[in-house]
Amino acid sequence: MDTDQKLAPLRKGLLEFLVLRIVSGSSVYVADILRRLAGTEFATQEGTLYPLLSKLRREGLVDYRWQESDAGPPRKYYALTDAGRAQLAELDRYWAQINKTIAELGN
Amino acid sequence: MRQVITVSLNGRAYALEDDAHAALGAYLAEASRALAANPDKDEIVADLEQAIADKCDRCLSAHKTVVSRAEIEAIIGEMGPVDGAAPSPAGAAASSAGAAPAGEAPRAEPASPPPAGAGPAPRRLYQISEGALVSGVCNGLAAYFNLDVTIVRLAFVVLTFLTGGVTVLVYLVLMFVVPYASTSEEHAAARGVPFNARVLVEQAKQKAAQFTNSADWKADRSAWTREWRRTRAEVRRAVREAKAEWRAHRWGAAPPGAPPGPPPSPAPYAAHVLSGLLLAILGLVLAAFTIAWVVALLSLAFTGSILGWWLPHGVSFWIAIVVLIVIYQLVAWPLKAARRAVYGARGVYHAPAVAAWDGIVTLAVLLALGWYAYGHVAGFHDLVEHVRAAFENFADSV
Repeated sequence: MDTDQKLAPLRKGLLEFLVLRIVSGSSVYVADILRRLAGTEFATQEGTLYPLLSKLRREGLVDYRWQESDAGPPRKYYALTDAGRAQLAELDRYWAQINKTIAELGN
Repeated sequence: MRQVITVSLNGRAYALEDDAHAALGAYLAEASRALAANPDKDEIVADLEQAIADKCDRCLSAHKTVVSRAEIEAIIGEMGPVDGAAPSPAGAAASSAGAAPAGEAPRAEPASPPPAGAGPAPRRLYQISEGALVSGVCNGLAAYFNLDVTIVRLAFVVLTFLTGGVTVLVYLVLMFVVPYASTSEEHAAARGVPFNARVLVEQAKQKAAQFTNSADWKADRSAWTREWRRTRAEVRRAVREAKAEWRAHRWGAAPPGAPPGPPPSPAPYAAHVLSGLLLAILGLVLAAFTIAWVVALLSLAFTGSILGWWLPHGVSFWIAIVVLIVIYQLVAWPLKAARRAVYGARGVYHAPAVAAWDGIVTLAVLLALGWYAYGHVAGFHDLVEHVRAAFENFADSV
């Protein structure tokens, strides 16, 4: 329990990174994002994800377009913008760097 | 039979059971509050409503058109608490901490400022009629001091014997003076706990965090379930009470057929206490006057004099009776009108309840007078003893 709590801020910080990664693959619908995250350590709920996506959109990293669905009203499909792709590339590099540092310090 | 409330979720109509509606309303109100500082608040709330609507669709079919409380609770559980950390539009790095995976560390970072006016919850003495034995005074005291009501009742009984009955007087005074807790806020104030959707959701968040992070999660889950049931019962009761209050107001104060007015705003606590005192005093005065009047009437009928005061020459017996009746009306009518006005100021006027109270007060004054006369008036004492002896003889012969 203690370890889990200690790692909570880490997961929290990484969630944005992971959402950018998921959105980068193809244009996705919120339920897709939740499904991808469910079952991982980063399982997330709508209550958290919608505000986060709204923030990313305001920062110009993702955007959405409306798409008709077979059942129900049109859905928002999210995709990365150019700025989002640049940010994700930077985060990827940074993450690789962190991994390297951790591995080196361990030995 | 349940009441169903139709709501619009992002533009589509959904039928919810009344307590499901209350739960969803609390969740969305909390979401709006948490997002108050967010520039995209409206859009996020619309997204959330859409997500809830989608989940409701899952529960509905051609043969099931109403969403139940249990289903809404499950949906709210799936949605999770709304992350209210207001992201700063400029600082991306700083605000990236705003998104938390479900149910994590709500205590570590107070995601949102406390609501305006939130201090320590007010604690006030109220009478609580739910589960009351007599009037709810002990119940209210128990809530106020956070004791078991049985202990308070036992204390009252023991004190009654120790003080020779003074405690009963104290109870009577409290019964008249202490207002009833009728709204959910008043019920909360009676226990000194805050009661609003935000706090409920805050508690839920904490419980969820404990639940997610705990190793012995099974025990936590059952505790959480218990807590949720308790909260749910509280919300349901609050809704019921609000309705009852509204009905009482409508049928009590408004003439039948009049358009239903808004529910009465509960009078402030001090005004409640004051009006309670006023009601008690007015009731006692009225009762004393009524008894005096009846005694005067009897005295006139049996002795021809009014309590030793002989009628002036030329005034006949019947005229005296008419004059007495007119005097009674002249004195009693303003007293009754004043009582009605005070009851009205308290928000609700129940004619049967007022009549019952008047009866009880009159009976109490009569008993007190009888008890006093038994001890201090030799004639009355002898009369009672005589009646008792006659009754005992009769009982023996049977």
